[in-house]
Amino acid sequence: MPVAASAIYFLNLRGDVLINRLYRDDVGGNMVDAFRLHIMQTKELGTCPVRQIGGCSFFYMRISNVYIVIVVSSNANVACAFKFVVEAVNLFKSYFGGAFDEDAIRNNFVLIYELLDEIMDFGYPQNLSPEILKLYITQEGVRSPFSSKPTDKPVPNATLQVTGAVGWRREGLAYKKNEVFLDIVESVNLLMSSKGSVLRCDVTGKILMKCFLSGMPDLKLGLNDKIGLEKESELKSRPTKSGKTIELDDVTFHQCVNLTRFNSEKTVSFVPPDGEFELMKYRITEGVNLPFRVLPTIKELGRTRMEVNVKVKSVFGAKMFALGVVIKVPVPKQTAKTSVQVTSGRAKYNASMDCLMWKIRKFPGQTEATLSAEVELISTIVEKKSWTRPPIQMEFQVPMFTASGLRVRFLKVWEKSGYNTVEWVRYITKAGSYEIRC
Amino acid sequence: MALSGMRGLSVFISEIRNCQNKEQERLRVDKELGNIRTRFKNEKGLTPYEKKKYVWKMLYIFMLGYDVDFGHMEAVSLISAPKYPEKQVGYLVTSCLLNENHDFLRLAINTVRNDIIGRNETFQCLALTLVGNIGGREFAESLAPDVQKLLISSSCRPLVKKKAALCLLRLVRKNPDVVNVDGWSDRMAQLLDERHVGVLTSSMSLFVSLVSNNHEAYWSCLPKCVKVLERLARNQDVPQEYTYYGIPSPWLQVKTLRALQYFPTIEDPNTRRALFEVLQRVLMGTDVVKNVNKNNASHAVLFEALALVMHLDAEKEMMSQCVALLGKFIAVREPNIRYLGLENMTRMLMVTDVQDIIKRHQAQIITSLKDPDISIRRRALDLLYAMCDTSNAKDIVEELLQYLGTAEFAMREELALKAAILAEKFAPDLSWYVDVILQLIDKAGDFVSDDIWFRVVQFVTNNEDLQPYAALKAREYLDKPAIHETMMKVSAYLLGEYSHLLARRPGCSPKEIFSIIHEKLPTVSTPTISILLSTYAKILMHSQPPDPELQNQIWAIFSKYETSIDAEIQQRAVEYFTLSKKGAALMDILAEMPKFPERESSLIKKAEDTEADTAELSAIKSRAQQQASNALVVTGQQPTNEPPQVTQLGMVKIPNINMENNHVDQEVAQTNGITGDVEPQNADILGDLLSPLAIEGPPGVSGTETLSEDGALALAPVGEQENAIKPMVDIAERFHALCVNDSGVLYEDPYVQIGIKAEWRGHQGRLVLFLGNKTTSSLDAVQAVILPPSHMKLELSSVPEVIPPRSQVQCPLEVVNLRPSRDVAVLDFSYKFGTNLVDNKLRIPAVLNKFFQPITLSAEEFFPQWRSLAAPPLKLQEVVRGVRPMSLGEMANLLNSLRLIVSPGLDPNANNLVASTTFYSESTRSMLCLVRIETDPADRTQLRMTVASGDPTLTLELKEFIKEQLISIPTASKPPVPQQPQPTTQPISSSDPGALLAGLL
Repeated sequence: MPVAASAIYFLNLRGDVLINRLYRDDVGGNMVDAFRLHIMQTKELGTCPVRQIGGCSFFYMRISNVYIVIVVSSNANVACAFKFVVEAVNLFKSYFGGAFDEDAIRNNFVLIYELLDEIMDFGYPQNLSPEILKLYITQEGVRSPFSSKPTDKPVPNATLQVTGAVGWRREGLAYKKNEVFLDIVESVNLLMSSKGSVLRCDVTGKILMKCFLSGMPDLKLGLNDKIGLEKESELKSRPTKSGKTIELDDVTFHQCVNLTRFNSEKTVSFVPPDGEFELMKYRITEGVNLPFRVLPTIKELGRTRMEVNVKVKSVFGAKMFALGVVIKVPVPKQTAKTSVQVTSGRAKYNASMDCLMWKIRKFPGQTEATLSAEVELISTIVEKKSWTRPPIQMEFQVPMFTASGLRVRFLKVWEKSGYNTVEWVRYITKAGSYEIRC
Repeated sequence: MALSGMRGLSVFISEIRNCQNKEQERLRVDKELGNIRTRFKNEKGLTPYEKKKYVWKMLYIFMLGYDVDFGHMEAVSLISAPKYPEKQVGYLVTSCLLNENHDFLRLAINTVRNDIIGRNETFQCLALTLVGNIGGREFAESLAPDVQKLLISSSCRPLVKKKAALCLLRLVRKNPDVVNVDGWSDRMAQLLDERHVGVLTSSMSLFVSLVSNNHEAYWSCLPKCVKVLERLARNQDVPQEYTYYGIPSPWLQVKTLRALQYFPTIEDPNTRRALFEVLQRVLMGTDVVKNVNKNNASHAVLFEALALVMHLDAEKEMMSQCVALLGKFIAVREPNIRYLGLENMTRMLMVTDVQDIIKRHQAQIITSLKDPDISIRRRALDLLYAMCDTSNAKDIVEELLQYLGTAEFAMREELALKAAILAEKFAPDLSWYVDVILQLIDKAGDFVSDDIWFRVVQFVTNNEDLQPYAALKAREYLDKPAIHETMMKVSAYLLGEYSHLLARRPGCSPKEIFSIIHEKLPTVSTPTISILLSTYAKILMHSQPPDPELQNQIWAIFSKYETSIDAEIQQRAVEYFTLSKKGAALMDILAEMPKFPERESSLIKKAEDTEADTAELSAIKSRAQQQASNALVVTGQQPTNEPPQVTQLGMVKIPNINMENNHVDQEVAQTNGITGDVEPQNADILGDLLSPLAIEGPPGVSGTETLSEDGALALAPVGEQENAIKPMVDIAERFHALCVNDSGVLYEDPYVQIGIKAEWRGHQGRLVLFLGNKTTSSLDAVQAVILPPSHMKLELSSVPEVIPPRSQVQCPLEVVNLRPSRDVAVLDFSYKFGTNLVDNKLRIPAVLNKFFQPITLSAEEFFPQWRSLAAPPLKLQEVVRGVRPMSLGEMANLLNSLRLIVSPGLDPNANNLVASTTFYSESTRSMLCLVRIETDPADRTQLRMTVASGDPTLTLELKEFIKEQLISIPTASKPPVPQQPQPTTQPISSSDPGALLAGLL
């Protein structure tokens, strides 16, 4: 495995180092100054997450108000480095009780140092699983809800956990009420031309699971995906049920899923880790149900006036509704005055984003809303190139709707003691980059 | 500033300052800009207070680096506001946001003018400042008179006057005509009488600008300037507030000294004396002190004074004083002063007679070469380079060589180049030069460009005395365990050429030389391997009678490289192998290199190109001119060989058809090389040097074209394959045949045949082109364009667009020869067959010899003529080497076919040929030409040729023409065109030299 990091820095938004750890001595301690000077204080910030300055590569990402910067001087595995950062942040979150920000870091210096020592050795990522690490790094975070009663738990055999076959789950868990929560979260990415034809469209989804199950349960998940259904009908020598089947691309599973069984029987069966985890990720490119249609008409009347009309239609079920709908209708930079009328929600000119921001808190299915605005522009001295017309962007969340049409058909839990479990399933569709050209 | 009242502005600024990062700042700024836009667009209009506030905000945003492209109207409108706070912001923002080319400024001109001619002093200042900062041509035209009035008015306060002077300076710079020279020079003189130092400084700035344009008009001001200097430097009559570290207004001093430099001389003896007194005082009174600021100020004055001294070409005594002063400076610890000292010394070198004085400081300068500061080292290097001459060249070059070992990499290339140039320019003797360069290559091989070792090779080749020495040296360097690649190249080359001269020394037998060179082969790169292969071929050639063991070894190497992946190496190996099997013929083909033509050192040219600093450049140039006479001259050829017609040579170089392309270039490169021409763009030194290196016998033999750029041609006609239609005849060969014959086929491909038939009468000729369509369909878009050389007038009658199937078109072509020249007219012939567009460039055989009229002379007629044309440039003699071996009879035939009629028996020596002819051109009319060729029966590859005629150009051209005919018949060197069988199967016509040579091979 190639090196993932020579050093890791946590910076606040001003560029001060909150905490750092050097894993290899091939980068100097002052490299972060280069990052501050050449990336943070320029317009480059946020344009490209990987930058090279003076023979060193900087990988950075921003999590709330903290920049996490990885510095390497050799040919590192970038994907591995980013994955490491994401996992590390998840780990910190689980230790701190959900929040990961500047304050949380300041309050947990010692813990973070201890964790940083543990999760990477000489630039190579190590075990980042919170379940395991919590066994032997017992130092509490300031508000850690997970180890609320650290003293009554016996110190388990950590080495067995690390090396054992089911590394992600402790034995001897017991819950009064055995519950499983399943969340299917999808985000729709769309690029549509002004005439309404789809240029690019895909859905990325993930299945999140929260388990509170006793013992060592074996779970089996059935979805309405094509391969699983075909295989099932083949096994049971029944004709394939009619109804919608989904073709999933690029499926990735959590390490707990038994891949041999998936390959042979096409069923998702696993022994879940305790608590919350991401069971699988997938992508769908065909047969996407778009939740919204947008019909823009933008007319430039002369050099200083514009007329904007945008109609948004919700095309999901009438009983459902979308929440937090935000539609950003772009306007030129030299916009001076706007007068906007909307049929629902509120719209306002936002000068710092050069757009009309139209917010609708609740948008029922099978309805439509329109915005009509008059925009006045100020004249400038230099004759500008004509306005580039950036696309309209949209944000929303639609609960109980999946853009892919994916459904959970069953979730079977099998345990030696044979307890009953309660299963909860939720669906939600969000906007990824939902853009309509105008 | 009146910011206290504007809460909104202070709040905005503090918000911006509280932003934690750039992104937040940008968002805040964009929001504010949106707000300002809304406000400005508001129909109700803004109160003056609001307008002022938003314009301030705009300025602040602009100063933060954001684009502000609106609101200029508001800013400009504030200028006309009645109250100071608004006016001030209007002026300020206008001068920041707009530049002189904005149309908006026009709106302001009138307001600005009102303010300038108004009574309010503050407003005047604001307006003058604006104009002084962004005034353009239009301002200059409409405001200059008013500003001038202000400047000379007696009622103005100095504050306004100062600004007016600077404002006028700006206007003058924009449009020099705004100041009427006649009227103004007196006023300028008055202004220079000003007592107020501030006003005087501003006026002096204006004066400097005026004088730089036209010093004639301001002679009257000259004494005033000297007075100012006297007042400042001698009397120190300056108010306390205008002294800087005890120096009376250094700025004014500097400006005055600068102004004086624009006058060519100072004639009035009194003024001159006064000035020199002041200068003397400045030179003497300046010393190096602790305080940096004081140093800076006093040295600014001093160096300006030095410049003036140099400009005025003062007495020697003063000069030596200056040099002494500079000598003191370059010994100072403070690096800035040392830098200036070195730089000024370099500049001083332009003044002729101080060189000896500067030489006294040589040791100190050499120490500066070891300074920790790189810019000082560079200056020192420049100075050393500039001060070098024959007397100290040895020391300086040795010093540079020594320094080369320790110099940092950034400087090494320049250093190596400079050392090489100095060594070349001032070498006391050639062996020293060779020593130096070899040392240079040894020490800094990576930084020695190819030019440098090419130059060594040229020198050695052209100086026979040097050859054994150089070979010996090269041999010595080869004994070193690690040796740089460049050194390897030069050693291999020299030993290949001249190792036979060392044969009697111990350790220098061909075998030993071979083994020591071959030892290094595995470590060298591909280009060097090619050179080594040539060296082996040479060694093999020189070891006569052949040593079978050595021969086998070398053959083994050749056959090993015959399969090399590098085309160049492969080709060399194949060719050398085949050639070496030819035994004695190898001797002729691989004969010693001919001498190189004399040429300007490309190194010096390169050095001049790389010079960046103009000051040094001029110094170096002036030095270069001074020493041009001292520079070494590559000996070996008469200087008369400068052909005047570079452009005409270029003419022939237009790319001919694919096949001929390389070939013609090659030939041009060759002729250029031989006649000592400026290098054409691609026949660079490398080409010249390496091409004969590959094989330096008769250049017609295949080796010549194996040179890298032409490699493709000799191996496989890669270039040809692009063109689907290939000529079926060898065009070059046809051309050469037609040079001798008057009718024949010029060009043929599967579709078209072009025949030619010519009649010649005196300086006129009539050619008929026969364009024949061989196909059964017609040829379209037929075009024939003549590209005539400058010495010929050619008229081609119109060519039909379409040639019908299976028919022939005749196109008469009239030729008038204006002047003697070897250049060739080119016919650009193109046509379309189907979808193929075929385009060929064909040389038209209207060459020099076509304008000959054979004449036979008796001894009585010949010798008086021969004697009367006694010396160059009418009579030229040259030893031609690398001649294609042929018997006397063959040569006589060749000359006869060129219409140079050989008169047998005229010359008492049977080995000599004497020929005569009459040449016709419009400029020369008929002109008798006499040729004598003395051959050496022992060595057929060289001969001496003497050409005489009544016209120098003709003599030169004729000599070169015959030489070309004798040595370069490039046609035979080509691989045969695929469709063509081997030339050997063709009947060899004795008059076709190409075929003849091909037959020999």
